[in-house]
Amino acid sequence: MARKLLLLAVVVSIVLFQFRVNLVSAQDNNKESGFEETEELTIADPIEPWNRLMFQFNDRLYFWVVKPVAKAYSFVLPQDDRVAIRNFLDNLLFPVRFVNCILQGKLKAAGNELLRFGINTTAGVFGFDDVAKKEFDLKGSKEDLGQSLAHYGAGHGFYIVWPVLGPSSLRDTIGLVGDYLLDPLSYIELKTSLAIRTGGYVNSASLHIGDYEDLVQGALDPYISLQDAYVQHRAKEVEK
Amino acid sequence: MKRRLTALLVIALVLVVQGFAQASEPIETVKTGVDRVIKVLKDPALKGAGKEKQRKEALREAVSGILDFREMAKRSLARQWRKLSDRQKDEFVELYRGLLERTYLKKIEAYQNEKILYKGQRLRGKYAIVKTIVVTSKQTEIPVDYKLLKRGDGWIVYDVIIEGVSLVNNYRRQFKSIIRRSSYEGLVKILREKNEKG
Repeated sequence: MARKLLLLAVVVSIVLFQFRVNLVSAQDNNKESGFEETEELTIADPIEPWNRLMFQFNDRLYFWVVKPVAKAYSFVLPQDDRVAIRNFLDNLLFPVRFVNCILQGKLKAAGNELLRFGINTTAGVFGFDDVAKKEFDLKGSKEDLGQSLAHYGAGHGFYIVWPVLGPSSLRDTIGLVGDYLLDPLSYIELKTSLAIRTGGYVNSASLHIGDYEDLVQGALDPYISLQDAYVQHRAKEVEK
Repeated sequence: MKRRLTALLVIALVLVVQGFAQASEPIETVKTGVDRVIKVLKDPALKGAGKEKQRKEALREAVSGILDFREMAKRSLARQWRKLSDRQKDEFVELYRGLLERTYLKKIEAYQNEKILYKGQRLRGKYAIVKTIVVTSKQTEIPVDYKLLKRGDGWIVYDVIIEGVSLVNNYRRQFKSIIRRSSYEGLVKILREKNEKG
């Protein structure tokens, strides 16, 4: 079983490296010639019909369920409390960021993450307060496995829209699975972790009400707009 | 002799003024523009009921002071732009401006005293990037970059990049996709419908 998995991982890695898309090389150009015409970052979308369907699903899920719930939730809980909850959950994800900083050879950022975790868990009372940023100007780095894979040259592969989770790619999906294994919540009772994750999802949505609406409102083809925003945003994160 | 001196003085003055104009930095252009927008937003004379229209108009004018809609429209259309007649170009720029204003005026109006930090500028020839960070009330920092192009003695903004997502690129991808699926006329039709919906 383990050998089969390993084999699968190797095959997928090879395929991903073959794909490489133009993301990595586009990145290099971007640094130098980011001035005039930003070269287009594109992503292969062989399963577009499925993706569009999932986009529709997520769109409805957002407007019919997530948004009303998040609104009610934010009505009950003041913004400061919701920010504190976000900080707490972010703090728990320290292992994900730390490991991925190291994987990308960003030792200073890894050190910062370690310091942040130490300070915020103690002085910030289990991470509810981001003391590290406020008092010590220590900023976190949002590194994840998808970015680490990109760091070693893996391209997106192709675009995937997951129900509930939203835009992703083959590479970033593999990253998500890896990061899941580094998430402490994955090692507690499933029911509890699911409840916490759902709560975190609503909490996060409550802090972002309006973002998705803006995108849809400004777009002529919201599906393409979101896809492009995803690709551009990820490229920026990888670059950092 | 006296006339010559006057002429010389005038020339000197012109040179000095031009020198000042050329010294205008991209970062100053962005700062001035953003400050103007914020001033409108904070203007007590433009607050309250019945002032919405006036306020929108003032905002529109302030935003037009920074953004060059024609340059943005041109870059968003990319190859298609060259195929258009002058009249089509003008028409498209207006539709594009309508699209942006409709969406972004609302967003700007939601301004709640967010702090804007200017992180510096990078120049290369006639292009420049000004980096800013918007600090929201939710303790998040949103990087917003402005891309500028030298125009005469000053600078114009032709793209805004929010969290790595370029507005012009995002529209270019959409326009391209729509043109490929239908046609340029199809794109204009969709734009017009969207603007009419208000």
